[in-house]
Amino acid sequence: MKTLKRLRIEKDIVTRVHRTLKARGQLNISLGQEVAPDDIIGSCWVSSGFRILNLSQTLSVSPGEAKKYLKREIGQKIYKGELLAYKNQWLLGGKKMVISPSDGILEYLNEQTGELRLNFLPKKIDLPAAVYGVVEEIDIPRGDIIIRTEVSRIYGMFGTGKNREGTLSIICSRDELLGELKITAENSDQILVGGSLIRKEAISQAISSGVCGIIAGGINAGDYKAIAGGRLIFPKKLENDIGVSVVICEGFGVQSLGEDIYGVLQKYNGKFVLLDGNHAIINLPSFESNCMRRVRSIALPKQQNTIVEVNELKLQDIKIGSMVRVVGNSYSAEQGKILSIDKIETVLPSGVPAFLLTVETKRRKIKIPYDNIELI
Amino acid sequence: MSVQNGLFDSFDNLDQIAVLDIARWLKNAPNEVVLENYLANKILYPQTLPLTKEDAELDLAILREALRANGPKNLAKTGSFLGDNTFLNVTLRKILIPSRFLRFVPSLTALIWAFIDAFLLERERKDFFEDLWTITLTGEIDEVVGSILLPQFSDRSGMLELKQGSQSYKIRFGSLMIIPCPLNRCQIVYKFNKGKILGKQESAVEVYGGRVGLFIDARDKKK
Repeated sequence: MKTLKRLRIEKDIVTRVHRTLKARGQLNISLGQEVAPDDIIGSCWVSSGFRILNLSQTLSVSPGEAKKYLKREIGQKIYKGELLAYKNQWLLGGKKMVISPSDGILEYLNEQTGELRLNFLPKKIDLPAAVYGVVEEIDIPRGDIIIRTEVSRIYGMFGTGKNREGTLSIICSRDELLGELKITAENSDQILVGGSLIRKEAISQAISSGVCGIIAGGINAGDYKAIAGGRLIFPKKLENDIGVSVVICEGFGVQSLGEDIYGVLQKYNGKFVLLDGNHAIINLPSFESNCMRRVRSIALPKQQNTIVEVNELKLQDIKIGSMVRVVGNSYSAEQGKILSIDKIETVLPSGVPAFLLTVETKRRKIKIPYDNIELI
Repeated sequence: MSVQNGLFDSFDNLDQIAVLDIARWLKNAPNEVVLENYLANKILYPQTLPLTKEDAELDLAILREALRANGPKNLAKTGSFLGDNTFLNVTLRKILIPSRFLRFVPSLTALIWAFIDAFLLERERKDFFEDLWTITLTGEIDEVVGSILLPQFSDRSGMLELKQGSQSYKIRFGSLMIIPCPLNRCQIVYKFNKGKILGKQESAVEVYGGRVGLFIDARDKKK
């Protein structure tokens, strides 16, 4: 008797990870260099936005005249509270002053509209290596570095969102509902581990709190369609991003995060992780320096198999003692060990005949058709 | 990808089905979110079997809507001789049921009703030959298992009297009936009061029989 084997977790594999600058900048690294998580391998300046000030309106002059009242040159820096423009009104008396509302650079004055664009001062962002590894490739124009490193990899069922990284934070137990009230601004730049269901309200809250990613057991199908391009196709072909990456590990509806995945995630709580929502993959880089021995000794082929190929489902023989997870709509996401395999078919209450297995979970023993399980 | 087969393998647009359309086939339909999640899990794990009677009914409701969504295309537009559909051959007036479906819906009768609901209940008739359809189980060997008769009532008070072998049957407007016809072919003699079959009020015809027999669907047709 055979059933599907699904790869859910790969422990301690040597693979390549990308580290990319958020904007144009400098890379301080060389090929073959060994790096540790705290090493700064590059830095860039990221603009944090701009503000438009209508100078001609504020000074009550024509747009073409606004320039002559500017107290700083275009391209110069200015700090909050400093004098930006000044006009002395001769006939009626009084003065008109424009004070800079924030730190920034005077980018451009439109002489047709009299509007001044004030770019906020860019922030310097350092790129840490975040992993132990060896630098394999450097793409200077793109600001991308490929590092050979050791990770544990979790394959979710499906997800959405581009590659993101952050500190893993378990904010509720594996069978709890991840509500929006649990997500706050303190979770900014984190990857949150939720429970059995993430709802769209919580996803919206995560986006506005600056959360990078969410890992959960289940999601309602309607909510998933809304964030993943309107269709349920597996494996997903579209590359979507709504501002947060989501990986769902079990299925649709309320489904507790599997014990196997939750156990691994607990070990990485507070550690740096990488999450690829569109491919439903979570990379957990090793945080032990002794992994470098393996990373140094293992050479990877130039072209690694695509993740979809690696995670292909395969039919495998069912054996007593094998670990399985229940799939589908009844007893979903429960995990346990096979205690026995029936030799004759049983007619289920649905009227369908099936060979049943007895599976011992942590809480109970259940009888389940072999079609409704996957080997893990 | 080597995966086990499921009931809905033949359909790649299950996610386009409106859950309210599925709910209309169920007596006690669960709420929309539960229904949508059930359907989504069927897409994600197509190999799973229904455990409860309610789940089996849900699967049949999804099957009806999946068949409807993948119904025959307009012959004139496609130019296809056989109607461009895996489950319904309009030219030969055959309903084709893959025998592998019986693994998931063991009741052939329930499966046939699902196909009738999906394809014939609201079908617009081009001619009176569409009053009679043959049911074929397809697989390595095709097997004819019976026929479907769709009497056309001109009035709700109409009555169809039908004789097959030594047995007589009375069929009223709005009813459903299955008449056993275990032979390969069986002759029926009918007399219609306020209605017609195959364009006639009274006649005798030979139809395909088989292990399920003759399905008579006298329900109110929408078109």
